[in-house]
Amino acid sequence: MRATRCSDTDASVIGLVVATHGRLGHELLATTEQIVGPLACVTACSVEPGASADELRDRIREAVARVDQGDGVLVLADLAGGSPCTQSMALCSKQNLEVVSGVNLPMVIKASSLRNEGHSVNALAQALVQYGQRNITLASALLRDALRAQAH
Amino acid sequence: MISFIRIDSRLIHGQVIESWLPHLKIQRIVVADDVAVADPLVRTAMALAVPADVEVVMSRIDEVPFRKFETDAPRTLVLLRDVASAMRAYAVGLIGPLNLGNVHAGPSRQAVSRSVFLTDAEKAQLLELSRDGLAVTIQSVPNEVPQRLG
Repeated sequence: MRATRCSDTDASVIGLVVATHGRLGHELLATTEQIVGPLACVTACSVEPGASADELRDRIREAVARVDQGDGVLVLADLAGGSPCTQSMALCSKQNLEVVSGVNLPMVIKASSLRNEGHSVNALAQALVQYGQRNITLASALLRDALRAQAH
Repeated sequence: MISFIRIDSRLIHGQVIESWLPHLKIQRIVVADDVAVADPLVRTAMALAVPADVEVVMSRIDEVPFRKFETDAPRTLVLLRDVASAMRAYAVGLIGPLNLGNVHAGPSRQAVSRSVFLTDAEKAQLLELSRDGLAVTIQSVPNEVPQRLG
C-alpha cells in the first residue's frame, strides 16, 4: 500500500481513498501527482487476487482511518458493484463517508483540489459524479465540429 | 498583465490546464509558437482543451503583442515551446521571469530536473538571461518548490 503522507498540519481537507481492482488506484494517484504535484491525505486500496471480502473491507477501513482528518472521507471506486465499491459502501453507515463508482483520472484530479474548499463529503461526491461524466467526450468529433465551424 | 512565462514543450496540456490555470487564476493563455499556429488541427485541439472562460491566443512569436498583454487587464500565461522560442520572444519585447516546466529529453540534452533537459548551449543562454537579472526557475507544478537554474 502507498504511503499516505497525511500530516496533522493539513487544515480541513477531505481524505481520499481510491479503491480499485489491481494497481489502477495506485497509478491513478501517481498520475494525478504528476499533473498537480504531491497530495496529502490520499491513499489507494487494491483488490489482489485471492483476498477475501473481509480482508478487503478491513484494508479499506484502515485506509479510510489513515486519511481521515475529521472532515470525512471520499472513496472513489472503480466498478459499480465490484468488491472495492461494495466493501466501501459497507462502511458508509458508520462514518462521514461517501462512495463514488466509475473513477476516472479527471475525477481524481478534480477531487484533489475541490476537497480543500470546505464542501461536505456529500457535495464533493455529487460534484465529482457530474464532473467525471462531463469529461467523457467523443473528442475527435468535437475536433471535427470545431474545424468545420472554422471553415465556414 | 503577464502573470507567468513558461517553457513547456507540450504547450497546452494537463499540468497547465489542471494546475497552473486555477493556481494563478489565469484569464488568457498565449501560445507563442510558429509550429502550432501553422497547424489547424493542433491549434483547434489545444483550444478545445481550455475552459471556455479562458481566452486562447495563438500567434507566431514575432506577431504576439507582448506590450499589450503586459499592460491590459487579463491575467495572462505565456507558453513557449523551447529555449530558442523563449530567446526570440524576449528579443521581440517579452518581459518577465521565466519558468522552465517541461523541456523534453534528447540527444546531447542533460537533465537539470526530472522534467527539464537542456543542451549546454541552452543552459548557457539561460544563465546569461539570469545574469542579466531575469529570474529563471525550474518548477513543473505549483506545489513543487521552484528551483533556481544554476
